[in-house]
Amino acid sequence: MAGPTPSMLSNTCAGCHGPNGVAPGPSIPTIAGMPYNFLKLMMTEFLKDERPSTIMSRVAKGYSDADIDVIAKHFSELKWGVQGGASVKGKSIDPAKAEKGKPLAKECEKCHEEGGKKQDEDTPRIAGQWLEYLLIKMDDYKTNEKYPQPKKMKSQMDKLSVEDLEAVAHYFASQK
Amino acid sequence: MYNLSRRNFVKLTGGLAAVGLTSPLLTGSARAAEGKKRVVIIGGGYGGAIASRYIRMADPNIVVTLIEKEKIYYSCPLSNPVIIKTRDLKVQRWTYENLVKNGVNVQYDEVVEIDPVKKSVTTAKGASFSYDKLVVSPGVDFKWEAIEGYSEKASEKIPHGWKAGTQTLLLQEQLSAMTDGDPYIIVAPPMPFRCPPGPYERAGLVAWYLKQHKPRSKVIILDAKDKFAKQGLFINGWKELGYNVEWVPGNEGGKVTRVDVEGMKVFTEMQEYKSSAINIIPAQKAGKIAHMAGLVDKTGWCPVNQKTYESTIHKDIYVIGDACIATAEIPKSGYAANSQGKIAAAAIVAAFKGQGEPDPSYVNTCYSLLSPDYGISVAAIWTFKDGQVTKVSGGVSPEKASAAFRKQEASYAESWYQSIMAEMFS
Ligand SMILES: Cc1cc2nc3c(=O)[nH]c(=O)nc-3n(C[C@H](O)[C@H](O)[C@H](O)COP(=O)(O)OP(=O)(O)OC[C@H]3O[C@@H](n4cnc5c(N)ncnc54)[C@H](O)[C@@H]3O)c2cc1C
Repeated sequence: MAGPTPSMLSNTCAGCHGPNGVAPGPSIPTIAGMPYNFLKLMMTEFLKDERPSTIMSRVAKGYSDADIDVIAKHFSELKWGVQGGASVKGKSIDPAKAEKGKPLAKECEKCHEEGGKKQDEDTPRIAGQWLEYLLIKMDDYKTNEKYPQPKKMKSQMDKLSVEDLEAVAHYFASQK
Repeated sequence: MYNLSRRNFVKLTGGLAAVGLTSPLLTGSARAAEGKKRVVIIGGGYGGAIASRYIRMADPNIVVTLIEKEKIYYSCPLSNPVIIKTRDLKVQRWTYENLVKNGVNVQYDEVVEIDPVKKSVTTAKGASFSYDKLVVSPGVDFKWEAIEGYSEKASEKIPHGWKAGTQTLLLQEQLSAMTDGDPYIIVAPPMPFRCPPGPYERAGLVAWYLKQHKPRSKVIILDAKDKFAKQGLFINGWKELGYNVEWVPGNEGGKVTRVDVEGMKVFTEMQEYKSSAINIIPAQKAGKIAHMAGLVDKTGWCPVNQKTYESTIHKDIYVIGDACIATAEIPKSGYAANSQGKIAAAAIVAAFKGQGEPDPSYVNTCYSLLSPDYGISVAAIWTFKDGQVTKVSGGVSPEKASAAFRKQEASYAESWYQSIMAEMFS
C-alpha cells in the first residue's frame, strides 16, 4: 500500500492520546479499544465540522477517509487500559458524588451497559474514562445545542440537572 | 508496533561480521551485541527519547545506546507556569529508568566528537561507541554573541529560562523579588528558535502574576521580529484578560543590541530600559555537537532529507528535533521533535531491512497558556508529497470563543503534557 503505514499514521496521535492510545489524563480521552465505528464516526464528524471540538476538527482535516479508516481500525484493536501519570494534576473522583450518580445513571445504562463498560458498534466505553473528559462532554451535551447526540441521550441530558450530570460523570469515571 | 518480520531481519544481519563496541563501559554487553545492528542516539529529550523507544519497539534486536549528559530531564513545555508559581518544578522532572527497563542502554555522558567516517562517537569521559546509524537530537545552543554583554555567566543574573531547570527557578525568584512598578522585560529572539509561541506564553502568564502581586508593573516585550506565532490570539487574549503588556516589534525599535548586566539595563537602537526583572531569550542555533561534527550549514542548523531526517551532509546520521531544518514551517516544538523521532526510527529500521524509505506522517499540536484557565492551540498535519513536505491541515484556536472553550484547552494542555511525557519516560 502506498502512503504511511497504519502505525506511522496512528502513532502521531499518541502525543496527545497517550502511548498506544491509553491516555494518562486528566482530560484527553483514552481511545484504545474503542469501537471502530465509533472512532470512525467521531473523526468523520470532526472533519466535516459536524461535531464541535477545540482542536480535533483542525486535526481531522489532515486525513483522508482511507486514513481515518486505518486509524480507527488501529486504535480499535488496541487494549483499553488505565494509566495514571504520577504527577497528573486532575480533578479526583469524589466517592460521595459517584454514589449519588449511581442511581441517576440507571437510564444511561440502558445503552452504556455494565456500568459503562459495554461497547458495541457505536457505543463507546465510558467506565473508567477520565473524569475531566466526562465532565467536559457532559457540559457539551447539556449546554451546546449543536452537539450531535442520539435522541435518547438528548432526552436524558434535558431531564438531569447539571449537578446530577456531574454525579453521573463521577460514577462512570469510578467504574474500573 | 510496526509490523516488521523479525525473521527477515535476522536473516539480513546474521551474516554480518561482528564489530565489537569499543567502549570500556560496554565490554559485558559487547559479546551479546555481536552481529546486531547498533544505533547510537545523542540527547534524551523530546526527539531522542522517542527515537530510542520506537527503534526498540520496532525491533528488540537492535542495540540502542542513548547518550545524555544529564541524569534528570526538565521539560521546557509547561515550565512557564513554574515561573509564576502555579506549577511545581517537580512536575517537569523526568528520569531515564523506564527507558533502561525497555532495553535502551542509557549512558550519562556528553558526546564531544562524532567521526562520520569511522562511524563512532567519543564522550567526555573518554568512552567511544561505534554505530551503524546515529541519531542526533541535541536541541538548541545560544548565540551568546548576538547581544553585546550577554553570556552564559550573565544568564545567572539575567536568565534566559530557555532550558528548563535551574534557569526556570532563577526566573521565578527574580519575578517574586522584582520591585512593584518596574517593567518586566522580555527580550524575544529572531526566527528560527525553539518554541515560537513560548516568549508570548511567558509574557501573558507573567502579566497574570503581576496583576495580582505587582499591580503597578507591566510586561514589555522587546522583540527582534515584526510578527509572532498565534499573534492575534495572544494580543486579543491579553486585552480580554485585562493584562498590561506592551509589545515592541523589531520595526519599531524592539531589537535589543546590548545589555548592561551590572546595571540591569538593556539597550535597543533607540532607547534604554532598566528593571529589576529582565529575561533575555537569546538567538539560537543547533546544539553544539552538531556544529562540532560539521552537521550544520551556513544557517547554523542541520539540513536533512525531509522524508527520513538523514543528514544531507553526513550519511547514516539522522538529525531530529530543534537542531534540524524542517521545511513547510514545521516549528521547533516538542511535538514536532516527537513526530520526527518516530519518522527517523521507522526510516532507520527500514534501512536495516533493506527496504525503501517509509512514507512519513508529521504532526504538531502546541498549546499555550494565557492564564492557568485560558489555553490556546495550534495544530497541523503534513504529508510527504511529490518530493516535499506538504501541509494538509491545521490552524489556530478560534478568535472568538467562550471562557469554557479556553478552559478546556488549558486542561488539554496539561493532558497533552502527561501523554507526551508518558510516551517518552514511562
Ligand atoms: C519555555 C518553553 C516552552 C515550550 N513549550 C512547548 C510546548 O508547549 N509544546 C511543544 O511542543 N514544545 C514546547 N517547547 C519546545 C520544546 O522544548 C523543544 O522543541 C524540544 O525540547 C526539542 O526537543 P529536542 O530533542 O530537539 O531537544 P531537547 O528536548 O532540548 O533535548 C536535547 C537533549 O540533548 C542533550 N544533549 C545535548 N548535547 C548533548 C551532547 N553533546 N551529549 C549528550 N547529551 C546532549 C541535552 O542535555 C538534552 O537533554 C517549549 C520550549 C520552551 C523553552
